[in-house]
Amino acid sequence: MTELIAAPAVQGAEHVASEQPRPAVATWRSFRREPLGVIAMVVLAALVFVALAAPLLAHEPASYGQAVLRAPSAAHIFGTDSLGRDVYSEVVWGTRQSMLVAVSASFIAIAFGTLIAVVGAYFRRLDAVVSIIVDLTLSLPVLPLMILVAALVGPSTGTIIVVVAAFSWPEVTRIVRAQALTVVNLPYVDAARLMTTSPVWIIVRHVLPAVTPVIVVSVVVTASRAVLSAAGLAFLGLGDPNVWSWGRILFEAQQSGAMSSAWWLTLFPSLAILVLVLSATLLAISYNDARNPRLRRR
Amino acid sequence: MSRLLFVLRRAGRALLTIWFAVTVTFVLLRVLPGDPAQAVASTTMTASMRAALLTQYGLDKPVIVQYGLYLWQMVHGNLGISFTQSIPVMQVLAARLPWTLLLTLTALVLTVAVGIPLGVVAATSQGRFLDRLVQVVGVTGQSIFVPSIGVLLLFVFGLMLHWLPIGGAYSDGSYGGAWYLSVGQHLVLPALSLMLVQLGSYVLTMRSTLIDALGEDYTVLARANGLPYRRVLWKHALRNALLPTTTLIGLQLGFLVGGAVLTETVFAYPGIGRGIYEAVTQLDYPVLQGAFLLLAVTVVVANMVTDIIYGYLDPRVKTA
Repeated sequence: MTELIAAPAVQGAEHVASEQPRPAVATWRSFRREPLGVIAMVVLAALVFVALAAPLLAHEPASYGQAVLRAPSAAHIFGTDSLGRDVYSEVVWGTRQSMLVAVSASFIAIAFGTLIAVVGAYFRRLDAVVSIIVDLTLSLPVLPLMILVAALVGPSTGTIIVVVAAFSWPEVTRIVRAQALTVVNLPYVDAARLMTTSPVWIIVRHVLPAVTPVIVVSVVVTASRAVLSAAGLAFLGLGDPNVWSWGRILFEAQQSGAMSSAWWLTLFPSLAILVLVLSATLLAISYNDARNPRLRRR
Repeated sequence: MSRLLFVLRRAGRALLTIWFAVTVTFVLLRVLPGDPAQAVASTTMTASMRAALLTQYGLDKPVIVQYGLYLWQMVHGNLGISFTQSIPVMQVLAARLPWTLLLTLTALVLTVAVGIPLGVVAATSQGRFLDRLVQVVGVTGQSIFVPSIGVLLLFVFGLMLHWLPIGGAYSDGSYGGAWYLSVGQHLVLPALSLMLVQLGSYVLTMRSTLIDALGEDYTVLARANGLPYRRVLWKHALRNALLPTTTLIGLQLGFLVGGAVLTETVFAYPGIGRGIYEAVTQLDYPVLQGAFLLLAVTVVVANMVTDIIYGYLDPRVKTA
């Protein structure tokens, strides 16, 4: 997390006068004062811990039990499902899958989306093509297309990651491109053009650092959307049938007809999704506010 | 002249969008695993029966020819025959489209009708408790998984209170006024779920743009001229703040359609989103192609409507 927050300092950090704190430090100081942002960060860190330590926190929910559709109790704190499996274990192991999909899909989408955006912004001739493709892709009905691809290719974790990433990058490109377009016209980029003929160097050294804050926000937003999309696919029965995910718990609850009577089957995975997406959103908002000097208190 | 050019460019863009959606669907269906021939003709058939069926559906021709023929037929309003139901795709979709349009339009109208006033309330009480509350509700709403809110509503209003039906789109065996009433009753919960997950974006956008607009020089000037605050707020600031919110409708359409698929699944609503899901599992390619075409057309039409509203709100774009 500290790495993410330190990132915007790269650009022009050397020129800042000594009495002024470096931008990253100022951002961090401002961020620390916002309780919501700090709470969101702690919650996200806790969820990452749950994902990593799932085998220590719960047994793998494979075995069928005698106690079918029991309400939450001391033995099963989140109750049991229609095959007698412990819902707590399912939710804990589902955290793993959600985190994996969110992180991998958003990484692919960000890497590809940023590359397209920055290259498009730097080479103006490509930009017209890029913007048309992005606009057209954004007008496609995303979830139905994800359903189409996931169903034809066959449900697996890899498929879901690729599908979610494939339909998430245009949004990244749209946001990063807007920022990159203003950056490439700034005098320091012109100055850099006088110093080197290598566009790769200028993009890596000067354009990318300037769009990093937008990327940071974009990572969080894309990851939380990926969680929702993956849960949507799993809810429709297109998730990986061998791995537990929050969407799969909901899907199986609906399939068994127990969704309406056994409230715990819906409540706990729903809360897990809500907590993850909400804390990611709050983190992005707080970071954005902290980064903006006009909104900083004191 | 420039006006005509503007309209022509918009129309060209609309056609390009529709063509793109149709082509992406066609290519995905042909490139990805899953053989349309398999869906029409089972491998246990005799070779001649199989060949006859494939010829009937045009699947014996090369893919590029199929694509050309498909586009040609589409321009003439013929979307082909459903693989599984053996009736024209148009008929399959015509039975489903009205339900999806009813559901999404109701949700959209509700969202705008509730979201804009809430945004105004938040912006005018900026920093106070009411503003904080609206913001928290907005951000939370954005983070909710559509089926979660659907099941919650279904559980509370359908199963516990028995106020509203829990699934379907109408009651069987009712006619006339009773039928319309049942349609209305079946619509409440799905539309409400779809509204609640969308509301946040509209409220938050409305709030931040209105706060910006209230800080602009022209609102300060209007106030300095002695205009009452309410008039400045509703006539001057709000009109400008509505522009980004109008743009948001266009941006959120894809999301709305996705939400509709999930909502229709939770409430067993016989709409096009559920139809797409069923067509995918049955490999019914003509229905899928038709459904995506319809969705693309809907998005294009909605974007045009948004453009018209935009031009009405901001006369500058009409001449630009």
